[in-house]
Amino acid sequence: MNTRIQFMEEMTRLHHDILAMGTRVEEDLRRALEALRTGNLDLVQEVKAGDEVINALQIKIEDQTAVLIATQQPVARDLRELVTVFKVTDNLERIGDHAVHLAKTARRLAQEPYGQSLERLERMAELGCTMVRDAVTAFLNKDAPLAVSTAKRDDEIDEDHKAFVKEVLQFLAEHPDRAAQATKLIATSSFLERLGDHVTNLCEAVVFMVEGRHVELNE
Amino acid sequence: MQEDKPVTISVKDLDLWYGATRALNKINLDIESRSITALIGPSGCGKSTFLRTLNRMNDLIDGVRIEGSVRYDGRDIYAPETDVIDLRKQVGMVFQKPNPFPMSVYDNIAYGPRVHGIQDRSVLDEIVERSLVQAALLEEVKDRLHKSALGLSGGQQQRLCIARVLAVEPDVVLMDEPTSALDPISTAKIETLLEDLKKRYTIIIVTHNMQQAGRVSDKAAFFLTGDLVEYSTTKDLFFNPKDERTENYISGRFG
Repeated sequence: MNTRIQFMEEMTRLHHDILAMGTRVEEDLRRALEALRTGNLDLVQEVKAGDEVINALQIKIEDQTAVLIATQQPVARDLRELVTVFKVTDNLERIGDHAVHLAKTARRLAQEPYGQSLERLERMAELGCTMVRDAVTAFLNKDAPLAVSTAKRDDEIDEDHKAFVKEVLQFLAEHPDRAAQATKLIATSSFLERLGDHVTNLCEAVVFMVEGRHVELNE
Repeated sequence: MQEDKPVTISVKDLDLWYGATRALNKINLDIESRSITALIGPSGCGKSTFLRTLNRMNDLIDGVRIEGSVRYDGRDIYAPETDVIDLRKQVGMVFQKPNPFPMSVYDNIAYGPRVHGIQDRSVLDEIVERSLVQAALLEEVKDRLHKSALGLSGGQQQRLCIARVLAVEPDVVLMDEPTSALDPISTAKIETLLEDLKKRYTIIIVTHNMQQAGRVSDKAAFFLTGDLVEYSTTKDLFFNPKDERTENYISGRFG
């Protein structure tokens, strides 16, 4: 018999909010990517609005979690899950910030046509979206293997980042007059690389939650 | 990392029956010296029964049969040559409800030493003072040592009972839900006291209060229907239990 129905209901509510936060982060990333691709500046506004929603959700979720810890005195897996919530929200919020950076860069870059292919950048952002979704799914389903495999994909982002920076530097050598655009593109690539690190942190937290051990997933 | 401490009590394959009912099944457990071990589990799980086997309090109950061994300080306490009175001096007990004798504070504490033959007033004075200091009670009762112990508050009475146990200089103190009849402030005082006492004594505490077990103990043992399900450091038991039944119990999913 389950004697903690109220606690379980509160946890379900918490999961809904975390899912909403994760979904919004993923959507904002997609919008930012689209803005970068198309120069559609309406999308930039939407991403900024989305960031406020994400920040508000973070506060709401963390407050709910603190109240649950204070009033329900969770232990063992329940406690690990609630401690993990703080890491999940923290990393999601940072990823949301990267979406904003990406969108702002899109706005700045919209002034002039790109001097080179953004294929790698798009692929990084696309993969970032998938990783965010999988990491949140791993958290909600308490799926440690999914967390591990998701974090592994950070390697792909890192490779693209390195290769992209190389491409931009090469382009810059040939077109010194396009330095402003080139540095913004490198910064954008760096945001996406950081995004992958945040997803990795999130995945490490999920493994801790499920298995009670600390792991290092990005070697 | 905490180092392994020496073992004070070693229990091997302990079975206990009340008549035809088996209350403990093959319990194996080593109690570490100068530490606090918490015994937890739902009502009827055997934790209090187990506690009482450690100073042979179950001898007083009809129809109890025990197999296996309990070694205290290397000696089997159920061996025929064991002096039970001496054992209970070494392994004292504090009960759930404070049970001061209907006599003065002083006489409550001097009772045990007197039974053990100490009559010298100055020696008794010293024992009473030391016991009250160790039980963190002296300041509150120093002006009423010769008044009835029954006039003390519940929390003070329980600390008096602890002082009474300490007066005979035990090695091990068994506590059966010592704070369940007390308010939170008295409970906090006893918990603080426990932290201090474990420097000198080995303490084994039965508690229904999970948070208390988490707060005060170094190791914790989870009992269920007479089985010892899990025994580990308190940190591991509460943060990362190995057995699903422990997880379910401590997180309140049954019991």
